[in-house]
Amino acid sequence: MEPVLEGLGLILDLNNIVLIFAGVLIGVLVGALPGLSSPMAVALLLPFTLSLEPIPAVSMMAALYCAGTFGGSITAILINAPGAPPAVATAFDGYPMAKRGEAGRALGLATFSSVFGGVFSLIVFIFAAPLLAAIALKFRPPEYFALAVFALSMLAAISGKSSLRNLISGGFGVLISTIGIHLTTGVERFTFGVHELTEGINFIPVLIGLFAMGELLNQSQALDVAYERIRAGVVKLPTRKDLKLVWPTILRSSALGTFIGILPAEGSTVAAIMGYNEAKRWSKHKKDFGKGTPEGIAGPEAANNAATGGAMVPTLALGIPGSGTTALILAALIIHGLRPGPYLVRETPEFIYAIFGAMLFANLMFLGIGLVGAKTFSLITLIPRAVLWPAVFVFSVVGAYAGSGAIFDIWVMFISGIVGFIMLRHGFGLAPLVMGLILGKLVEEAFSQSMIMYDNNFFALFESPIVTALFVLTGVSLFWPLLGPVIRLAFPRPQSQGEDA
Amino acid sequence: MAERASARRRGGNFWARRGRDGLVHRTDLIVTFVVLAITAFFYYATTGFEEVSNLLAQNIPPEFFPRWVLIIIMILALGLPFEHFVHRRRGEDIDSERSERIKRMPYLTAGLLFLFIQAMPYVGMLVSTMGICLTLPVLWGERRWRLIIPFALIFPLLVAYLFDRILLVQYEPGMFGITL
Repeated sequence: MEPVLEGLGLILDLNNIVLIFAGVLIGVLVGALPGLSSPMAVALLLPFTLSLEPIPAVSMMAALYCAGTFGGSITAILINAPGAPPAVATAFDGYPMAKRGEAGRALGLATFSSVFGGVFSLIVFIFAAPLLAAIALKFRPPEYFALAVFALSMLAAISGKSSLRNLISGGFGVLISTIGIHLTTGVERFTFGVHELTEGINFIPVLIGLFAMGELLNQSQALDVAYERIRAGVVKLPTRKDLKLVWPTILRSSALGTFIGILPAEGSTVAAIMGYNEAKRWSKHKKDFGKGTPEGIAGPEAANNAATGGAMVPTLALGIPGSGTTALILAALIIHGLRPGPYLVRETPEFIYAIFGAMLFANLMFLGIGLVGAKTFSLITLIPRAVLWPAVFVFSVVGAYAGSGAIFDIWVMFISGIVGFIMLRHGFGLAPLVMGLILGKLVEEAFSQSMIMYDNNFFALFESPIVTALFVLTGVSLFWPLLGPVIRLAFPRPQSQGEDA
Repeated sequence: MAERASARRRGGNFWARRGRDGLVHRTDLIVTFVVLAITAFFYYATTGFEEVSNLLAQNIPPEFFPRWVLIIIMILALGLPFEHFVHRRRGEDIDSERSERIKRMPYLTAGLLFLFIQAMPYVGMLVSTMGICLTLPVLWGERRWRLIIPFALIFPLLVAYLFDRILLVQYEPGMFGITL
């Protein structure tokens, strides 16, 4: 309990609370704007946090992440355009309810469910963290290597169009991470005589380019898209009648969202869709779904925000990002000189609790913001794109330059943006590339250290039961698409009477 | 040729197009070639890495890890032209994002941004960002000058102030030394 209190104590500082509040405000704004996303906002925020201490810097980003997920529901409800992908399912019932003239009720339900889901997942983590810490004590380079390989194999499972493309994308991320001087031999790799590449490729310009510049090019194709906006009215907390109806849905979705979030490489979007499906499956009013039922809003909103807390668990405790945004938070941790994963749990548990404390604060803050300011935040959609995106580009340029003070990094950002635009067009995920970029160094370092430990005998790695278990999990995760049909053949589902008929 | 003929006999096409049966997805075949070309280039680059000194020769050589990564990417890329089968069975459209040609605007936007980044070492970052804020909205069809001009003047100055004075990031002044 001591690290929990110590961690909470670390963020109870006026400066930290102001930064968390700023993160929440930016998150809600970014979440509310279709096109702007939490990963992009975290990437753009990164250069601003370089001068901060690690705890306030990461707290701000974590707060942005929570609030960004919630912010997406505002535009999902009011303009039927989810500001963020996790709010896709919220629009199914939120928009019809708003069209019925009950926008305030829909926003209130979304706010309450989001906050409940978020707080629920954080409480679960605070109690589960000591267990992770106990496992983390057994980690040495071979276990780190196996864990990182497992994390890379989970790229196949990341939400996206194709497992194959995600893996290729992740592979290129790993490849980019090898640019620069090889740590154990001092040999330059893939620098092609460019001295700026000797130290390797800087994370920040790549991240900004992929998420901000790539989206800018994408948006330049959709200049004629217009949204019909519904007036928000006064946002109301759910009534006792509504609460009675949605309470089981909120609880179920919170548990489901937390679990899905904890699974490495799954994210809030999957959680929200599953939360919506489960809400429908267990509802007594299935026919009302899609027409503006409160359960259809509470289900996905509780699940997607619970998943944000859940996704931070593998990110901080294992060093495996749970989503695109957490991949960026992981990059931020590394940039701030921290080593996410078991090492962090073992050496500085209070840091992890501080971040979770920050997320708890963020949830409570956007309860207030959601209830008081949702109407105002919805006005952000009135900003013309032709002004908004040049502003994003200015931040991208300055953000890419800020880290090293070199124009070279602006070029890296620009090229990454074009690459990101092409990748998205052909279904290659950006989050896997970022995860590969982050995990690549860890895999190589841990592998080299393990081989030195075991005198270049690869099979000696399997002496550790944790390594063996992680390699088995890696195999299952990679070959699941092949194993699935085999399992279905071996254990066929009994046909129902209806199907027989 | 034999595969193409056999596919035709089965009533399918050799080339898959949107919504039709076929063996090889034409666009993904090109994507595969691009991926293979990039990986082959990088693989070739690994052959040019410096020799490791005898003192460090017992470590994993520098080309070992990148080569494995490249081989894995190459193997995975070979599956791309046939992946459309899996998606079709699931009822997913693999071409939804690329069904339309890239419009003219992304090219023009990228070109404009290229010019301003190119100009940065000469005119400085402040002037360049002002130029972007002035020209990009115009390129994107915005004609409300009362909105564009104050935006192009005030916004880059505010960002410059934030970075230069608060975050202590020195802007590139350019040849003419234009900065805050």
